Amino acid sequence: MPLAPHGDVKLSDSTSNSQSRALNQFLAGVELKAFKIAQTALRNEDDALDAVQHAMLQLARAYANKPPEEWKPLFYRILENRIRDMQRRRTVRGKVISWLPLRGNEEDDEPDPINQAPSHDPQPPRRLEIAEAMGALERALQGLPRRQQQVFMLRTLEGLDVAETATAMGCSEGSVKTHYFRALQSLRAQLGEFWT
Amino acid sequence: MSPIEEQIPAELERRLQGLLEQSVAHVDGHIRSRLNQARQAAVAEATRDRRPALLRAVVLMPAAGALAAAVLVAFVLWPHSAQQVELPVTVMADAGHSMEDLDLLADGDGLDLVSAEEADGSFLEWAADQTDVGETST
Repeated sequence: MPLAPHGDVKLSDSTSNSQSRALNQFLAGVELKAFKIAQTALRNEDDALDAVQHAMLQLARAYANKPPEEWKPLFYRILENRIRDMQRRRTVRGKVISWLPLRGNEEDDEPDPINQAPSHDPQPPRRLEIAEAMGALERALQGLPRRQQQVFMLRTLEGLDVAETATAMGCSEGSVKTHYFRALQSLRAQLGEFWT
Repeated sequence: MSPIEEQIPAELERRLQGLLEQSVAHVDGHIRSRLNQARQAAVAEATRDRRPALLRAVVLMPAAGALAAAVLVAFVLWPHSAQQVELPVTVMADAGHSMEDLDLLADGDGLDLVSAEEADGSFLEWAADQTDVGETST
């Protein structure tokens, strides 16, 4: 069997490099939105970071050789699965803890009082306004059923179309439309007074 | 556009989208830093996983083949060497003694004689005399 010429190796290297660059660019484009989606669903910064990191690694390991245009639905599918797993684990853990007669060392679960203390840094009015509005939106989102919240975030924040959202969620396009419509109706009912 | 989508208030949709995008733009620096680290790790993982997989397939294939052949040869030859070489040396060399030992152990009378001899050696002396007498008479 003839040896591969050096040109093939260079071609392979350059292909690999370009794929790495494409992957880096893709992840850089979705990481903040993915974090926001995970944070809204999990209500915890560290858990959200963990979920996004897991989705990044899984995409890189299993799907990096796929065409880049397929990455986004796959990435969000992995992320949503991870979020669901974490929520299930929390539910199980909560049930187990509720059965225990004495609750032991819960330092990890308790919020850090230093982090909870109000900040004395002056905030620009605009940022405060955004923070208030976002707080209201987050509360409203957290009140939504999980599937509605998921569809809303994927479509509104990430800008996935109906087909991509259906792929990411593993459901039909009709289901996506229904969940999205109900989510918007619910948010309008909750946030209408806040914004008028 | 479907009837469902027509009912969705576009203004609300725009405002929500704008608000979410602003919240993303205001994500803290330390979160961005950790996301950046996670991204770099993922990209490194993608690069590391693909290349060794190809290299392993090419480099380890002959070694794995040689190892499999060696195991196969050893498996085929092992039963013959055990039967043809080791058994005759160990069993046949001591075959006479082994069979005698087995007879002695299996024979209950023999053991009785031994115990009788320990109690009284006259029987063996008598038997020896009889043997001597028989030999001289013939």
